[in-house]
Amino acid sequence: MGTVAAIGVKPGIVTRMSGPVFEVLRVLVVEDNQHMRSLLRSLLNSIGIREVHEASNGAAALDVLREKTCDLVLSDLAMHPMDGIDFTREVRLSPRSANPFLPIIMVTGHTERHKVEAARDAGVTEFIAKPITPQSLFTRIGEIVERPRAFVRCEGYFGPDRRRKAQEDYAGPWRRHGDTHDLQVQ
Amino acid sequence: MKKKAQVIPPDAYPQMVSKSDAIKMARALRAPETAARGARVIQDAGQKLRHGVHDYVRELEAATGNRQVIFEKAHEIRGFAETAGLRATGRIAGGLCRYFEEMEKLDAVPDNAVIALHVSAIVRAAHAKGEANRAGDAVVKELAALVAHKLAETRSAIAG
Repeated sequence: MGTVAAIGVKPGIVTRMSGPVFEVLRVLVVEDNQHMRSLLRSLLNSIGIREVHEASNGAAALDVLREKTCDLVLSDLAMHPMDGIDFTREVRLSPRSANPFLPIIMVTGHTERHKVEAARDAGVTEFIAKPITPQSLFTRIGEIVERPRAFVRCEGYFGPDRRRKAQEDYAGPWRRHGDTHDLQVQ
Repeated sequence: MKKKAQVIPPDAYPQMVSKSDAIKMARALRAPETAARGARVIQDAGQKLRHGVHDYVRELEAATGNRQVIFEKAHEIRGFAETAGLRATGRIAGGLCRYFEEMEKLDAVPDNAVIALHVSAIVRAAHAKGEANRAGDAVVKELAALVAHKLAETRSAIAG
């Protein structure tokens, strides 16, 4: 990874623009591809995040989370022996989970609808399709810090509210406690 | 029996950062300097990433006949070849992945000839100089047309 000077950006600008605020963040990168792990680490370093932990699969990531406090996770989907979906489910639902509200960004080439839905239903916070670009990564991190989502706990699900947009013209029954009336779910 | 769902608003659980830091972070993440630094990281990592793609391409070639391994390797290549600057390689691998996925949806067995053509094109594209040129784009288009034709043929055969 190149230093700030090595990549041709004035250190002063980095310090003012992103360094101090991002230095407090601790990120876990879960990815079985060593090159992608390294790239994600470098991208995180480029915005001033210094504390980046790595794991090559979901099980190893859970081990890291037992030892280290992390503020954000970037996770691949397809990994062995534990994939990103099972990992997310463990973080959200396990009684041993240190932080069930931990933001999890799934970074994956698996963009098939059923896999995206499975990731969402496991409680993933954001989704990035590979090939990754700096813009896609920074935009998702920005979304998470600037507009954190409400969490929903109901039968069979605990995770970020899966509704992205309020439907102003929705005429059906109340679906969420926050809709002003108590939600009734089957 | 009906149960109430509980909604936990962002203010009611621990956040990554304070609201004031969140605003600073979001502003920094949108700054052109941040995008420029990110682009430079990708550029600097290009050579290493290309080596990584070539490793996967070798594994893909060695996986002849093993559809599961071919799919997994093609998937890895699709995931980061384009980031490594190997656009055509990534797109051909993406086309092969789509073919596998669509055939799975149809509950049909992928055609070995289609797989072999993609693998061969991925190998050539990954090692071609200036692979993102017009020739690379033409190969991507031709293979996409082949996949579309094969899928139509399969659907038609299933429909009887």
